[in-house]
Amino acid sequence: MVKLEPAMIHAVNKPARYTGNEFNAIQKDHARVDCTFALALPDVYEVGMSNLGLKILYEILNKRKDTAAERVYTPWIDMEAKMRENKIPLYSLETFTPLSQFDFVGFSLQYEMIYTNILNMLDLANIPVFTVERNDTDPFIVGGGPCVYNTEPIAEFFDFFIVGEGEEIIVEVVECFIQWSKNGRAQGRQGLLKRLAILDGIYVPSFYAVQYNDANLIESVLPIYPEARPLVQKRVVKNMDEVTFVENPVVPYIDIVHDRIMLELFRGCTRGCRFCQAGISYRPVRERTPEQLRALAKQLVASTGYDEMALTSLSSADYSCLGEFVADIMEDFKNEKLALSLPSLRIDSFSIELAHKLQQVRKSGLTFAPEAGTQRLRDVINKGVTEENLEQAVRSAFENGWNTVKLYFMMGLPTETDEDIIGIARLAQKVVDLYRQVTGKRGARVTVSVAYFVPKPYTPFQWFPQNTQEEFARKQKLLKEHLKDRSIQFNYHDAHVSYLEGAITRGDRRLSKVIYEAFKQGAKFDGWSELFRYDIWMKAFETCGIDPAFYNQRERSKNELLPWDHVTPGVNKEFLLREYHHALKEELTEDCRRGKCSACGVCPNLNVKVVDWGNRHD
Amino acid sequence: MTKFRTEITKGDEIRYVSHLDYASLMERAIRRAKLPVVYSEGFNPHMKISFASALAVGVTSAAEYMDIELKEPVTEAVFCDRLRQALPNGVKLLRAKMFEGKQKAMMAIVDLAEYNVQIPLTGDQAAICEVVQTYNLAQAVTYTRRTPKSCKEVEIKQYMQEEIQVAFANEIIIFTMKTKITPAGSVKPGEILQVFKTQFSMPIMEDEALIHRTGLYAGGQTPIDLV
Repeated sequence: MVKLEPAMIHAVNKPARYTGNEFNAIQKDHARVDCTFALALPDVYEVGMSNLGLKILYEILNKRKDTAAERVYTPWIDMEAKMRENKIPLYSLETFTPLSQFDFVGFSLQYEMIYTNILNMLDLANIPVFTVERNDTDPFIVGGGPCVYNTEPIAEFFDFFIVGEGEEIIVEVVECFIQWSKNGRAQGRQGLLKRLAILDGIYVPSFYAVQYNDANLIESVLPIYPEARPLVQKRVVKNMDEVTFVENPVVPYIDIVHDRIMLELFRGCTRGCRFCQAGISYRPVRERTPEQLRALAKQLVASTGYDEMALTSLSSADYSCLGEFVADIMEDFKNEKLALSLPSLRIDSFSIELAHKLQQVRKSGLTFAPEAGTQRLRDVINKGVTEENLEQAVRSAFENGWNTVKLYFMMGLPTETDEDIIGIARLAQKVVDLYRQVTGKRGARVTVSVAYFVPKPYTPFQWFPQNTQEEFARKQKLLKEHLKDRSIQFNYHDAHVSYLEGAITRGDRRLSKVIYEAFKQGAKFDGWSELFRYDIWMKAFETCGIDPAFYNQRERSKNELLPWDHVTPGVNKEFLLREYHHALKEELTEDCRRGKCSACGVCPNLNVKVVDWGNRHD
Repeated sequence: MTKFRTEITKGDEIRYVSHLDYASLMERAIRRAKLPVVYSEGFNPHMKISFASALAVGVTSAAEYMDIELKEPVTEAVFCDRLRQALPNGVKLLRAKMFEGKQKAMMAIVDLAEYNVQIPLTGDQAAICEVVQTYNLAQAVTYTRRTPKSCKEVEIKQYMQEEIQVAFANEIIIFTMKTKITPAGSVKPGEILQVFKTQFSMPIMEDEALIHRTGLYAGGQTPIDLV
């Protein structure tokens, strides 16, 4: 057990990040369980503690008497320095057990810019960073989460990946491990990996050989063991009401990013925005019943004491029973001062009315995501939102007393022209003018936030070249010149980060050495602007003789074997291609949830169905 | 309207929780306990609870006091049972007393805090005793209080209630400090240790100190004995 000296902990910022003992945290005696599982999120405590996926897995694993699941996050640089100085290995927050003593260390892969943190955490835990260097006493390193649809750049660091939704497969993994342990750990590490590889949704990267051709492209990805499947498909929960949800989440002592109850209304979103990876990878839409959600809400309020609850989902306003459900929940908690929030608003007046009802007291800003500045480009990306929708939504917001509106856009989308960029400025100005029209006075506060588009695997834009940094800079300048009104604030990201993200997200196995080299040179917390070191990364690419532009700025041929083709969320490539062509022709595709099926392939491939309770009473 | 005054602790498990976070963990515990607590009116309703005195990050306490207002009466037994079940590790409910009518805010009446401070013994005992004696005898000692925004000279001897006592046990230095809490201000044990180290060259590692509040008083009585 790790012991922290007061002098050390006194010297760091926010020491309660590192001392555990929160309400609902579960401490078990490791001598009395058959499996120990560390659940890690490679970012700071406040970010890690806000992740719903890990809360669910924590609950599921700890419900088992034979398993102990504990939490671990990345120590901030001040704490890391103290730990290294005092030779304190990375430890879990429940029992202060060094990570190296766990059977599994599972990393939640939320975004590419935390990959170096994974290496740093392994290093801080004295666990070999490369899979091939681990021996029988080391934990199995497993990854899961949104980045799992292209894990090739980190393939050399992970023993295996859980692809898709973890509720059921995590239990199968643990059971498989316990059985293997009781059988004398036959065949060592390989023995367990072979047992795991035959499970649906498990990807063991070391069981595949990747061949490259003369053009540096992938020639083949072939299983080298009979246990490894040629195609790994994601796991998906068929009935959301039947799987365990969080009922007793750990309640932190310090403010975290999402410091409230998170009630997941449904999984999946089929609006079909063509830039969006989550829109593909979480298919199909599966709703929880309002009855179950009400019961969960009661349990969660009782078990946490939180006074705030967010109704979360990829697109919460699309929950089929939302109006009725919100009214019921408000009635259930009318005496308890529970604030409800809807984190993702649809651009329509229904959403505004609802937001108005929910936030009766606090009029914080409203956020909308038109994503593109012109109708033409919004059609390209299949964002089924018209200027009229936005106008209505914003008008309704101003009528209901809001004066602050945030607008999210992307820059660098396929087919984008300067007219589309100027369109962003025009739209923002229109919102400012609408405020004057509705209220008869000045005083609107409009924030325009523009992200640089990063094409992602398993989207219709996966073949598309990312804009160059020069192009991003030019477009940004152009937009700035057109944003004239003083009530408009312009926020933009660091193009260097998007450039790097673009290279890694569509990278292949050859990037493992670049990531390792960057880590060795001190890259960490790459998603934190104050710590991001572009110079280190560019040097690392150079040292390894790899050009990032090969990954982020190359237009891929439609018949190129892509690094991620063998691990899939179940979508057919023909569908993605079809969508790409629709995009170029500015043609819309309907939401399959209530409209026509667009034959993406997910339902038949994974034997799963859309669950939408809105039609229940028909 | 029913009020409860409680005597609670801040244990080692939550040593590094700030006063603000301590207040919000108590709010959450009260909600979990389903006590019929009163909320303020207005746009941003908050729970009607109040504390006697803030405690610094890193300091534990056996003597924290919190008042809670309830909409409807609850017996002391029910109150204690429900709250105890909802408390996190690190907070113990020692006593609770129901009271009615108006009472001055505890914050306004507490005037004395008592601390037990333990530090590993690394230097010479005699040197340590000598510094304590010099400090105790000094007419005035000035401490420079720095915050991110300001830097202020404070005369701290005016806030000493009694002489500081020092004892040694198992290679540990134990200081007993009694400090005044006044409308004009007070002094924290951590500040006294810094003065010991920097102005009087006491051979201690003040970073290693474990500071524990053992008592909080108003006119010689604990706040809970006042109601």
